[in-house]
Amino acid sequence: MATALEKPPVIAERTPAAGPRSGFRRYWHLYAAISPFYLLFLAFGLVPVGFSLYLSFHRWDGLGSMEWAGLSQYQYLLSDSDFWSSIGNTLLIWALATFPMIFLAMVTAVMLNSAVRFKNGYRFAYFLPNVTSVVAIAIVFGSVFSTNFGLVNALLQAVGLDQVAWLNTPWGIKVAIATLMTWQWTGYNAIIFLAGLQTIPGELYEAARVDGANPVQTFFRITLPMLRPTLLFVLVVSTVTGLQSFTEAQVLLQNTSNDSTFSGGPDHAGRTMVLYFFQQTFDNNDFGYGAAVAWGIFLVVVIFSIINWRLVQRRGED
Amino acid sequence: MASLQHTRRPRGIKGTRGRGIALHAVLIAGLLLSAFPFYWAVIMSTHTSSEIFSYPPKLLPGSHFLQNLRSLFDNIDFFGSMLNSLLVASAVTFLVLFFDSLAAFVFAKFDFPGRRALFVLLMAIFMVPTQMAIIPQFVMMAKIGWIGSMTALIVPAAANAFGIFWMRQYMRSAIHDELLDASRIDGANFLRQYWHVALPVVRPGLAFLGIFTFMGQWNDYAWPLVALTNPDNVTLQVALSQLNGVHGTTDYGMVMTGALLALVPLLVVFAIGAKQIIGDLGKGAIR
Amino acid sequence: MRSPEKIRKAVGAVRLSRRGLLRAGLAGTAATALGGLATGCAVPTGSTGRNMVLWYWDGGLGDTVLKKAKARYDSTVDLKAIKIGGYYRSKLITTLTGRAHVPDIAGLKGEDMASYLPDADQFVDLRTLGAQKYESQYLPWKWQQGIADDGTMVGFPIDCGPVAHFYQYEVFRKAGLPYEPADVSAQLNTWEKFFAAGEQLRRRIRGTSLLTDVNSVFENIVQQGSRRYVDKDRHFIGDQEHVRHAWRLAVEAKRRGIVSDLVTGTPDQISAVDTGKLPSQLGASWATYDIKNGNPKTKGKWRIADMPVRPSNNGGSFLSITKACREPERAFEIIAWMLNAANQASGYVDAGLFPSTPASYGLKQLREPDPFFGGQVTTDVFGPAAQKIVVAYNSPYDVALGQPIKDEIKNVGVLGKDPDKAWSDAMSKCRRIAKHLGVSY
Repeated sequence: MATALEKPPVIAERTPAAGPRSGFRRYWHLYAAISPFYLLFLAFGLVPVGFSLYLSFHRWDGLGSMEWAGLSQYQYLLSDSDFWSSIGNTLLIWALATFPMIFLAMVTAVMLNSAVRFKNGYRFAYFLPNVTSVVAIAIVFGSVFSTNFGLVNALLQAVGLDQVAWLNTPWGIKVAIATLMTWQWTGYNAIIFLAGLQTIPGELYEAARVDGANPVQTFFRITLPMLRPTLLFVLVVSTVTGLQSFTEAQVLLQNTSNDSTFSGGPDHAGRTMVLYFFQQTFDNNDFGYGAAVAWGIFLVVVIFSIINWRLVQRRGED
Repeated sequence: MASLQHTRRPRGIKGTRGRGIALHAVLIAGLLLSAFPFYWAVIMSTHTSSEIFSYPPKLLPGSHFLQNLRSLFDNIDFFGSMLNSLLVASAVTFLVLFFDSLAAFVFAKFDFPGRRALFVLLMAIFMVPTQMAIIPQFVMMAKIGWIGSMTALIVPAAANAFGIFWMRQYMRSAIHDELLDASRIDGANFLRQYWHVALPVVRPGLAFLGIFTFMGQWNDYAWPLVALTNPDNVTLQVALSQLNGVHGTTDYGMVMTGALLALVPLLVVFAIGAKQIIGDLGKGAIR
Repeated sequence: MRSPEKIRKAVGAVRLSRRGLLRAGLAGTAATALGGLATGCAVPTGSTGRNMVLWYWDGGLGDTVLKKAKARYDSTVDLKAIKIGGYYRSKLITTLTGRAHVPDIAGLKGEDMASYLPDADQFVDLRTLGAQKYESQYLPWKWQQGIADDGTMVGFPIDCGPVAHFYQYEVFRKAGLPYEPADVSAQLNTWEKFFAAGEQLRRRIRGTSLLTDVNSVFENIVQQGSRRYVDKDRHFIGDQEHVRHAWRLAVEAKRRGIVSDLVTGTPDQISAVDTGKLPSQLGASWATYDIKNGNPKTKGKWRIADMPVRPSNNGGSFLSITKACREPERAFEIIAWMLNAANQASGYVDAGLFPSTPASYGLKQLREPDPFFGGQVTTDVFGPAAQKIVVAYNSPYDVALGQPIKDEIKNVGVLGKDPDKAWSDAMSKCRRIAKHLGVSY
């Protein structure tokens, strides 16, 4: 959170009273406390990332020896239309899922906040989708979105509309995956928004009510601005996790091709960036290229997160 | 913040009650939507594969649950893999709670050289996509011989940037400086402050992180899929994916039964801790 | 706000229990980690103790043979046959790379075989274990497929995959098409006649399609020939006439409406097969196992005839011994026994694995009528087909360079993409991949 970094801890000045006076020895226990994390990260985060960078300049099939390849993997990446379309797929699915999800989560949180009875029951039920395994739920959704036997099409036909070949058309696939993601994350984010809502002082609402504001005005003038830090948190987390989505697309579409479990369906419409990474690495044994793809994904995630951050931040400043 | 000039009469009782019912109606609709896939999972696991894919869709549970159960146990080592998942999830949760709360405490309440830089590093770490590490981690672990064992799942997962991030935010507001100062005046050293002052107050935050971590590990699929190359020794999610036949011979009834059973421990953990997270979370954040 | 006093009192009360928990937790974690490290240092790359681990996939080997092998060699080894789900090749290669828990005996799928050959050093050269004395018992083209360019023998033949035309008797009869196997073989012996039959089927019975997808037309025509996508000299030949011919015919199949827009293996497709909306399949012998498992309700409704023009070969696998195996001689003994003529015959009964040992063809099991196919003796079709298969050169790069073409023809079939655009897209993708892999274009 941006604000957190600007404010130094209140007790900074008082720390010297805590331990021994001289230099590093004053702080060694603090470094020791945070070191397990950083050490683990070094071993299982930094070193692999470094190795991955190294690997992306080589050609390697996992079994033989590594050959130097210079920048050719990256050149290949830039000219790879499949990679670019996987980015497009990921962004589209992300958008289709995240915006409805945030809207629904906020609305749900506001409603939960005002509901007096059964509060805990509702919260439990809404959080439940997040508790399940994505593998299991993807199987369920696969059945629900089936063209001839799915509930969704049965409902559509019941109201007189045509069947949609959900898992067989590019847009249908994206909608199905997005629905799965929305279903899974709305409740979770609603709880987070709820926690955020509960930090808003009741006096503000009192004042608004006294002034005669209706619920909509209250929402847009008081609730929303106060929720901005929470919104930022939710957006950042949704972006980082949503752009890396893998399991939903993989499980929903794993039976759609006889050549690969990472194919992403017809025209690879459901092939997200990470799914593409898996395909290049494990289907094609192209570990060097896979590493380059992973770096490509990282760049996309960083750029997109920064864009997100700036957008929401700027709106807070006016 | 806008202020409004004109006043209005307070709303009548009727308006409030009507709104109350409408509110609950919408909330219940949402609840049904949330819960529906679980119901569908129950339906799928009580029918045979061909019954599931028939038209019109079956809306009531069938009678094939025991049959599916038997096929499930015949095809994979269900309880063995569940035990593995339990082992991994518990170990990781414990490690994460301990390391992350310790580190978060430091970031939340202390100032020291390099604090800002280290924290920014933390944020950057959070953004690194996990897949980037998959190949190198795999190759490294192949060299030290961890591939195929649960250690490969436990150790890397103990470094959880999100956990530090979360606990730090929580601790900043939940732990009152006055309390900390008082304990310092009483002569508490760093560990005592952590143990006696910080931890008790952030229990709800810890509970949330613990459950979240446990769930994440329980449901983890991509890395275990790659790293657990010994088919006899896998976690539950991987075992379930082993049930997928080739060329469409998947027995969906059996697969869904497995998936449903895989949910049970999670639901138990969640039920135990739900009150903790949902109930106390909001409160803890303010006071 | 609570006072520090009260907090300390409350905290003190639970101090003991938390400390105890902490100790237990630390101890447990340490034990796990150390345990992991300990086994980590000593973990064997293959199986342990008396175990002989064999990896295969559903339908890759017959159950009877595996059971008998286990019993037969029980005095010396504990044969553990593990059925691997998901994408087999990916799993095997990942495990080989992971250098841990590598199986002693590994099944290798025929369509992947060529891609394993460059990594022949991961497998034991079966010639060093005396494989050559068995060579005469196996179909020559099949035997050759398991051998790398430098002569190393990587794979020992299991089955071969002669492709035939599976069709539903009643549906064909109702549509006024020939329905007895001999008639179907004789009258649908060219692609033109096959397509015409498909059109007639669609006209006579609403909602039917002869085949599921264009890929089965495309791939079978390619596999009828002796060339694939890359030749012996690492030169891309996927833009040449043999592929164009297959492409044209596949596009025509789509244009004439004889294929559906369903995807094989999806519940929608399975149900269409069950209800007779997809009455035909061009499948290899092992596909009979898939149909029996996936569409059990259609028992008795099928017959088998020759596919148009001449049989192609699809699949057919091998068993190999990995370098991680501690007892290669014993492993070879087991393999050679499991894959002898008599046992291959039982594999045919169990899983439709058509023997690559001609001696099996005269055996009783292969002369049995198959009730799933209305009592037809399926060997009558598969046997001659297996003999007629044309030998082809399979390059390790075939998989990567054939994929874009297969993907694009699938787009034409399922999404209705313009065939010319699809072809040029496929070719430009192939050009890129060829450059990336070092295949000359």
